[in-house]
Amino acid sequence: MGLNYKLVLWSKYKKTYDKVIIASMLLYIVLFAVITFVFNSETSIETLVIRAFGSLAIIMLHIILIIGPLSRLNTNFLPILFNRRHLGVSMFIAAFIHGGFSMFQFHALGDVNPIYSIFTSNMDYNSIRNFPFQVLGFLALLILFVMASTSHDFFLANLSAKVWKWLHMMVYVAYALIFAHVFLGAFQQETSLFTIVLMIVGFIVVASLHLITAFKESKIDNTKTVEKEGWLEVCNVSEIEEDRAKIFTVDKERVAIFKYEGKLSAIHNVCKHQGGPLGEGKVIDGCITCPWHGYQYLPHNGQSPAPFTEKVATYELKVDGSTVFINPKAFAEGTEVKPCNH
Amino acid sequence: MTSGQRKAHKYIWLVLIIVVPLTMFSSIKNLNIFSASRHMPTHLEGSHEISLKSYENDIVSVSVFESSIEVILKSTLKNSSAVVFEMDAKGNKSKAMGQLTTTGIYNFNTINLPKGIIIYDDLKQVEITKFSFQWD
Repeated sequence: MGLNYKLVLWSKYKKTYDKVIIASMLLYIVLFAVITFVFNSETSIETLVIRAFGSLAIIMLHIILIIGPLSRLNTNFLPILFNRRHLGVSMFIAAFIHGGFSMFQFHALGDVNPIYSIFTSNMDYNSIRNFPFQVLGFLALLILFVMASTSHDFFLANLSAKVWKWLHMMVYVAYALIFAHVFLGAFQQETSLFTIVLMIVGFIVVASLHLITAFKESKIDNTKTVEKEGWLEVCNVSEIEEDRAKIFTVDKERVAIFKYEGKLSAIHNVCKHQGGPLGEGKVIDGCITCPWHGYQYLPHNGQSPAPFTEKVATYELKVDGSTVFINPKAFAEGTEVKPCNH
Repeated sequence: MTSGQRKAHKYIWLVLIIVVPLTMFSSIKNLNIFSASRHMPTHLEGSHEISLKSYENDIVSVSVFESSIEVILKSTLKNSSAVVFEMDAKGNKSKAMGQLTTTGIYNFNTINLPKGIIIYDDLKQVEITKFSFQWD
């Protein structure tokens, strides 16, 4: 959580994360080069660079795409989610090197603009075998560029978390374009059963994880809660751990009810930073702390402690015996609500 | 995520599991993934069967059999792509038979023997070499 914008808010953990990314990328490139020269010593440097960075970008994209659902299914993966943006930017750099070298080798040596050449050198859009697949790769690279260049809290704050999230969901369009780029391009010229199977397995893994998570979340969203005189019965006080929360669905939105210091407070479950699930975090130093990036909110008013300005909606609670009830009508973001004693 | 974003994720993936496999299937169904068998020999000695025709240049040796064509690639090409096409009666490339990658012997099954073959760089859109089969 930072008040002023810096290029990177470095922490020891982020440095370690980035070192692992860089070392893994370098290791892959070196291994790819060695294996290529052993089995195909005539390969040109340009071709090697294009293939090594292209395949690296695809592998990284698959890893990036499985981090989200894995973290939803198992909280042990949350540390990888923490710095996913750096992984995304690194993946874009690999894709950019692949695209840049390809553009130089195949389109920059003529007498027309290389980008114009990508779109006009092959107009065989009705053909499967000779489809202008480079156009698909170029469009995917554009999407990845927009995503990488807005992967910063400055854009997150100024575009709003909602717009930023929708913008970054374009990664799925890029993913589909990249698949079509590979299958209509590389595999038409150089068919390899091994790489085709690898791509298919990659897609099955990514799609399965996303769909399993989506249906699991849908089930939670559709959970019915018993209503009594305008109040929804949610749980027994003993079901909530101390300094932790239990998440409930109220009017299709998730609400987190926190238990701390003998009190109960309810806030909207979605963090204002990147939409993290606040109810999966815990109360640290009196503040609800998001499990994704550590953004904090005060339980009784949903406001980030000064000087920060993030606010989430709050809800009214009541306890009857040991049963907790919630008023489903949300208060405006940052509204103070007296905590409920239990 | 908000409920809207969760729903959007679900529907995006429901669309992707249809669109991506369709793209994959339609793009690979015509590829000769299994029929073009490539050997990795220690020496480039082709089939001992008697061929109908044989041709050779600096790049490849080509032997035409009853129902297959054998291409021996003498050394790995500089081209990023080398696709073997059947040649039609007008001398143009028609059906793709398969591709050449590294040095080796490649066998391409064919039902009707073509008028010749064209080895073509699909990326740079240039002809690498071609052979016209002279049938009596």
